[in-house]
Amino acid sequence: MLPMTDIAIVGYAQSPPTFGVQETETQMLFPAVNEALARANLTRADIGFMCSASCDYLSGAPFAFVQTLEVTGAWPPISESHVEMDGAWALYEAWVRLHHGDIDTAMVFASGITSRCDWREVSALQLDPYYLMPLWVDDISLAALQANALIESRKATERNFAEIAARIRGGDADEFLKEPYVVEPLRAHDTPTMSDGGAAIVLAVGDRARELCERPAWIAGIDHRSEAHYPGVRDLTISDAARIAGQQSGVGKGPIEVAELAAQFSHEELVLREALGLTDGTVVSPSGGALAANPVIATGLVRIGEAANQIIDGGRKRTLGHASAGPCLQQNLVCVLEGE
Amino acid sequence: MSEETKTDEHVAFMSQMVNLDYKIVTSPVHRHFDEQMREGRIVGHKCPSCGLVYVPPKGFCPRCSVITNEDHEVEVKDTATVTSFTVVTPIQYQGQKERDEYVLANLLLDGADSSIGQQRIEGIPHDEVRMGMRVKAIWATPDERTEEGGGMRGWGLTSAVKHWEPSGEPDAPREQYQEHVL
Repeated sequence: MLPMTDIAIVGYAQSPPTFGVQETETQMLFPAVNEALARANLTRADIGFMCSASCDYLSGAPFAFVQTLEVTGAWPPISESHVEMDGAWALYEAWVRLHHGDIDTAMVFASGITSRCDWREVSALQLDPYYLMPLWVDDISLAALQANALIESRKATERNFAEIAARIRGGDADEFLKEPYVVEPLRAHDTPTMSDGGAAIVLAVGDRARELCERPAWIAGIDHRSEAHYPGVRDLTISDAARIAGQQSGVGKGPIEVAELAAQFSHEELVLREALGLTDGTVVSPSGGALAANPVIATGLVRIGEAANQIIDGGRKRTLGHASAGPCLQQNLVCVLEGE
Repeated sequence: MSEETKTDEHVAFMSQMVNLDYKIVTSPVHRHFDEQMREGRIVGHKCPSCGLVYVPPKGFCPRCSVITNEDHEVEVKDTATVTSFTVVTPIQYQGQKERDEYVLANLLLDGADSSIGQQRIEGIPHDEVRMGMRVKAIWATPDERTEEGGGMRGWGLTSAVKHWEPSGEPDAPREQYQEHVL
């Protein structure tokens, strides 16, 4: 365990999710980064550490992330790092970096443009090259296996999925159920709306955070865990990784008012609710979650940012942001946030 | 794989060909730059904060983090200084069109503060190419200027400039380009 340092989110912004962005990834990120800094009353030069998240497989170019670094105004040279993962893991790295104690601010940003690749193909290629990749099984097909496992174990029905989709997207579950399958038992409304987008979060330590933000969203706990590598050895109806990450980040220490879940598929919300022990008293994904807009790589960071805004702007006391990566909720990160 | 590996009867090999298609989107800023190139004009954006001129334009100043647009457009010259160069020996792989050695240089265009990479130098023996050498653009005829090669990743000058040749001017002093050597 790290020694506890009080670290809070003091600024967050995301670029409006769209599909088919015309600008460069760097241009797309600029407004989000500017706004997150403005909300924290900071400039780029004030930031002690920057951590970015991007994925070369989305843009189809090696070192694509180098160009997005231009949003940092990296002159004179800055201290920075990068993860080829969802931005939530970049936030985790920044959180660890702040524990070093020599800096008091950090900025995290993430971007993904899914409209320039075939995400289903790219997601298939993310899998291990020996057993899964040759099957050419994509993210929707793997998600359908998990949804099927829930149905076969009688934990859920297609109607349950449709009701979640109707709550998030607006609409009528009965109408949704008349739609054809994309991959049985998933229909279009159960699969994520792929998006282009970016997000930025500013972190600050202790009194610096109180100075910069009227109501900082304190990181009360953050943890990430991974399931076994091969989906075939897992019980897909549960998520041990999410459960342990939830326990380690202290989800159960008090009521959670709002949970922003990176449930890309409607049935994933059911798995995550159970794993995190969420009750009906928790409002789940009022932003629409990952189902309504899925700018891959930024999706999880957006969840943490939205959960933070529930405290910063919304006056809530205790929320959580969740991020996931890999097939069938393979990796899970949970960040519990508290207001003072 | 080695011959021994191939003949090992206990190991089976399979090839897994992977193909991914991507859409390359040319941003509005780069599209405008490409259009101007086809008109025979090399343009950049001048940062309203620090005054640096970026060619091709980025739509922002990466040092000041200021957004720029066509209001900040300036034209630069089609003459330049070689800041660094490479004599490339092409390796013959499938799809390689080059057969003979050629020179690619990083150029600082007159009027620009950002250098531009991957520019072909012709009209001079390769062992005479040098840092500080002055060059001029050799433009393609207007009907040869296609959209090919435009806007890709923010480098290159599209098909409008075929290559660069020595201009015959005396070499630039090192102080003029030493901050732009890659």
